[in-house]
Amino acid sequence: MQRKLISGIIGIFIALLIGAIIMLLQGYNPLQTYGALFNFSLFGLFPLATTLRNSVPLILTGLSASVAFASGPINLGQPGQLLMGALFATVGGLYLDLPSWLLIPVLLFLSMLGGALWSGVAAMLRKWFNMDEFITTLMLNMIADFFTFWAISYPFFDRSAYSPMTPQINTNGWLPIWGEFNSNVIVMILAFIVIYFVFNRLTAGYEWRITGQNSLFARLGGIKIDKNYVTVMLVTGALAGLAGGLVVMAGPHRFLKGLGANYAWDGVMIAVVANNGLIGTLLYGLFFSAMQTGSLGMELITAVPREFIQVLQAVTVLVIVAGRGYLDIVIDKTIARRKARERTV
Amino acid sequence: MQVLIEMKDIIKVFPPNVVAVDNVTTDFRIGEIHAIVGENGAGKSTLMKVLYGLEQHDQGEILLQGRSVHFQDPGEAIARGIGMVHQEILLIPQYTVWENIVLGAEPVNFIGMIDRDRARQLVQKKVDEFQFNLNIDAKIDDISVAAAQKVEILKLLYRNVSVLILDEPTAVLTPQEIPQLFNELRRLRDHGHTILFISHHLEEVLDLSDRITVMRKGEKIATVQANETSKTELAQMMVGRTVLFTSHREKSTPGKLIFSLENLTVIDAAHHKRLENVNINVHEGEIVGIAGVEGNGQFELVNSIMGLIPTKQGNLKVNDVNLTKADILERRRYISFVSQNRGKMGAAVKASILENVMMTHHRLNPHFTIWKGLMLNDQYARKFTGQIEQQFSVIMDRMDNPFRSLSGGNQQKVILGRELLLDAPFVLLDQPTRGLDVGSIEYVHELILKMREQKRAIFLISADLEELFRIADRILVLHRGKIVADLPTDQTDIEEVGYLMLEGKEQ
Amino acid sequence: MNIITGLINGMISGATPILLAALGGTFTFYAGIFNIAMEGMMLTGAFFAVLGSYYFDSWLMGIVCAILGSLVMALIFILFAVILKTDEFVTGIALNLFALGATTYMMRQIFNVKGAFSNPGIVSIPRIHIPLLAKIPFLGDILSGQNLMIYITVVIVILSSFIIFKTRFGLRLRAAGYNAPSLDSSGVPSAKIRTWSLIICGVLCGLAGAFLSLGYVTLFSENMSAGRGWISLAAVILVNGNPWGIALISLLFGFTDGLGLLLQQYMPSQFTSMVPYIATLIALYFYSIQARKRRI
Repeated sequence: MQRKLISGIIGIFIALLIGAIIMLLQGYNPLQTYGALFNFSLFGLFPLATTLRNSVPLILTGLSASVAFASGPINLGQPGQLLMGALFATVGGLYLDLPSWLLIPVLLFLSMLGGALWSGVAAMLRKWFNMDEFITTLMLNMIADFFTFWAISYPFFDRSAYSPMTPQINTNGWLPIWGEFNSNVIVMILAFIVIYFVFNRLTAGYEWRITGQNSLFARLGGIKIDKNYVTVMLVTGALAGLAGGLVVMAGPHRFLKGLGANYAWDGVMIAVVANNGLIGTLLYGLFFSAMQTGSLGMELITAVPREFIQVLQAVTVLVIVAGRGYLDIVIDKTIARRKARERTV
Repeated sequence: MQVLIEMKDIIKVFPPNVVAVDNVTTDFRIGEIHAIVGENGAGKSTLMKVLYGLEQHDQGEILLQGRSVHFQDPGEAIARGIGMVHQEILLIPQYTVWENIVLGAEPVNFIGMIDRDRARQLVQKKVDEFQFNLNIDAKIDDISVAAAQKVEILKLLYRNVSVLILDEPTAVLTPQEIPQLFNELRRLRDHGHTILFISHHLEEVLDLSDRITVMRKGEKIATVQANETSKTELAQMMVGRTVLFTSHREKSTPGKLIFSLENLTVIDAAHHKRLENVNINVHEGEIVGIAGVEGNGQFELVNSIMGLIPTKQGNLKVNDVNLTKADILERRRYISFVSQNRGKMGAAVKASILENVMMTHHRLNPHFTIWKGLMLNDQYARKFTGQIEQQFSVIMDRMDNPFRSLSGGNQQKVILGRELLLDAPFVLLDQPTRGLDVGSIEYVHELILKMREQKRAIFLISADLEELFRIADRILVLHRGKIVADLPTDQTDIEEVGYLMLEGKEQ
Repeated sequence: MNIITGLINGMISGATPILLAALGGTFTFYAGIFNIAMEGMMLTGAFFAVLGSYYFDSWLMGIVCAILGSLVMALIFILFAVILKTDEFVTGIALNLFALGATTYMMRQIFNVKGAFSNPGIVSIPRIHIPLLAKIPFLGDILSGQNLMIYITVVIVILSSFIIFKTRFGLRLRAAGYNAPSLDSSGVPSAKIRTWSLIICGVLCGLAGAFLSLGYVTLFSENMSAGRGWISLAAVILVNGNPWGIALISLLFGFTDGLGLLLQQYMPSQFTSMVPYIATLIALYFYSIQARKRRI
């Protein structure tokens, strides 16, 4: 656990260093820039609350990817599952009139249903036709993108709007805000606790983990890997769908074009840098959210375009992942060399 | 004889702290066959890999013809005339014999295109020169293991090496194929080549070599002339104590029929019959062994018993329960299984020892879970793991450490413990002692004999004929998917079984 | 006749970037590398093509810059996956994200626009008229007058097939994929072969990107590779490497692209845009059905 923390912190530090060099080459002031970045994301109640609110889709899609990768299925369909979840929640929010305490859980459920349905398609294609979910989830992403675009442009289109979007959902479906603090964080934390418990304490989670590490061993041990495969796909799809629903219910309260944009690919990235660890996903999700939230302020103060953050994120991922393996090799080699020197006659 | 290679004070440490070669000094001469013997893990392979450039030594010096050398990769070693043939055949299965031989030294024309005619011509010349019986256009996939081994040797001769290092060359051959290889090696030696070969088969070593170097736990014990030593002396140097070569197995008294396989036939994706009408019976208190050259159906036999592959026909019964159509979990109620490949089938090496121990028990033993099987009972699992640690004398640090932190012998003990404590009536063992050191092998054999005392039905697949003859009560021979012999151990011998393995019928 | 010609021309145009990237992927596929970075390399190539073309006023410089840009991506892949031995899948994903972020960032920094950069100053790759071929009835309109890159692509397909199956490099390339330790023990470092395969992939993806932004259309837009890298990956997997098979499948995908444009008269554009991706799923279906391996 300690090695992971250290290599993570060193990795972030090196990545920030590389970012600083790039900034210097372009004539920006790195200290001022990073200062603004963290000022606008962490220092103060409003920045912190915003960072937390923005971290929700990142962490949920990150969990979706982490659980999937750690259990075997390569579910890269979070972008599409998020969109379908958002769509289901939006449609529910447009046509259902229920009191708040009922509507919100129903919409959350619908969003999970949407996500699970979409990942379920990929799961069935694998189960019936042996089609690799790696490719199918990717293709389904693009299809979901176009499908939801059509949905918000025609059947659910807000006639009074100038660009493709739905009307706002029933206000009873809007997630409450307490001061600066958005309650979507509560939902996320609940989801995290549940999935953590399932993954680490339940029999099912144990089977998923072992299957992810060595499916042949799991199979020989009597684990029903086909059944578990479908369950994992559905659960992780639901997580991504939930992220989509929360984006709608906590944010614009309607489905706009470009909703969710990069969130879901960031989720995969977070899972990768966290090496599929659940707590790591949570922490890195917060970190990347901070960077993204702060980037707006950064642009205001120092004129560094906020797209720079995307570059920084990718560099961070590469450095941490490469460093992780490399650090282990270096440490082991050093120990070996010392031992050899000891034994020389 | 003139000294060709000297290795002085070689030390090699594998990260983080495994001392594989510990201050070894030895030399090799022109025109000799020199064997390096030791038990598994003694460092013989590593020493040769250091010479060959596959591994880098941490301390020490290597001299070739008096001059210091340090090969960074095998290419350099080959350029200086040293070549190594590995234990696992390292050829490209999809390529032909000649393509494999010229790979890396291909004759080309000016635009980089391979000159096929010239390549085939050169290879054929070498084949004829050394009188190797090979079809140079055959794909490696289609030729026998013994032939593939010859291709490996020829690959090196094509590059004009004068030193040939062979790592356990007889491990993949039947008793009948070995004399032919030895004749070829003697011919090469008489040609002036130097042959270094690694082995732990003492009779072969004494038969073939001129000098023998003995290694134990990374250190060199001694170098002796083959005609001045004996099997007992070598074994003693290898293990450090007197070793008995006889088995101490009492006569068995098998009871009722536990395991029966009737008319098992397995056909693969290419419509070849991999198993044909196989019938096997194992009774309680009996150890039945099965011998055969790898690739004759053992893989399909194990996998169909476990339920991994479909069968064309056949019945599988344990304790009169028909398991033919049962899923794997159902079979595990009756079958304990120790696979031949710990890393691939027997464990999840990065998971903790505890997590590896729980496997299958977590579904078959209700004590391992609470809430009707929904949640794991961590406490009980830990107690169980402690039980295994004690009962099977496993040396482990903490049970939360990754499985791979255990030594090979201890890993196998954990797996055996897990499988045996399933209390299943039938035990399937696939190469259970492969890769283990002598101490662990002895332990495992004793454990198997104890299980026999406990009246379990045991089925043992092994490539080690000595092992089969040591502990099995009956020996079956598998040849091209058919059982060609079913003999009580004390009514046959190694030569007869070896012949059956190769030819499929009696002499 | 014109509709069919138009359709075929659309098919060829749509197929070309996929084909080029897939050929690059083929080289890495044979070398045994799990390379999913074609999307990122193509996108980078597309951006640098526009950059080079705009600033040097020459489509040739555009192509050169595209290749260089894509090579930088390939070099990063080499650094992490081959030298530092980082997981190839992870490296590919990170690289794709990096390419997306970097190209969007650079477009904003250099051209001061968001979303897309389109300018009459961008010089596109010209079409080539071959009078001899143009005279052939029926086929003339197809064989002549295509974009230069398309003729280059045809040559590359032939070259690739030759290199992979007839040359020494090709023998070693495939050996690296079939059994890398065997190649190493033959004295040829498989890492060197993998490095070269990635460099070739970089060059070819650069060309693919150049065609996208200087031939297919003449502009650069955010994320304009639009999943084509994934389709080319699917092509490589479906065909199992053979360059001619790749060409065929790419034409099929290109066809669906053109078909999509045709169908726009009959249904909302969002559905027609789905066509290539649905086609990939269908192709994968046929592949998976016949390759239903026994799972052991």
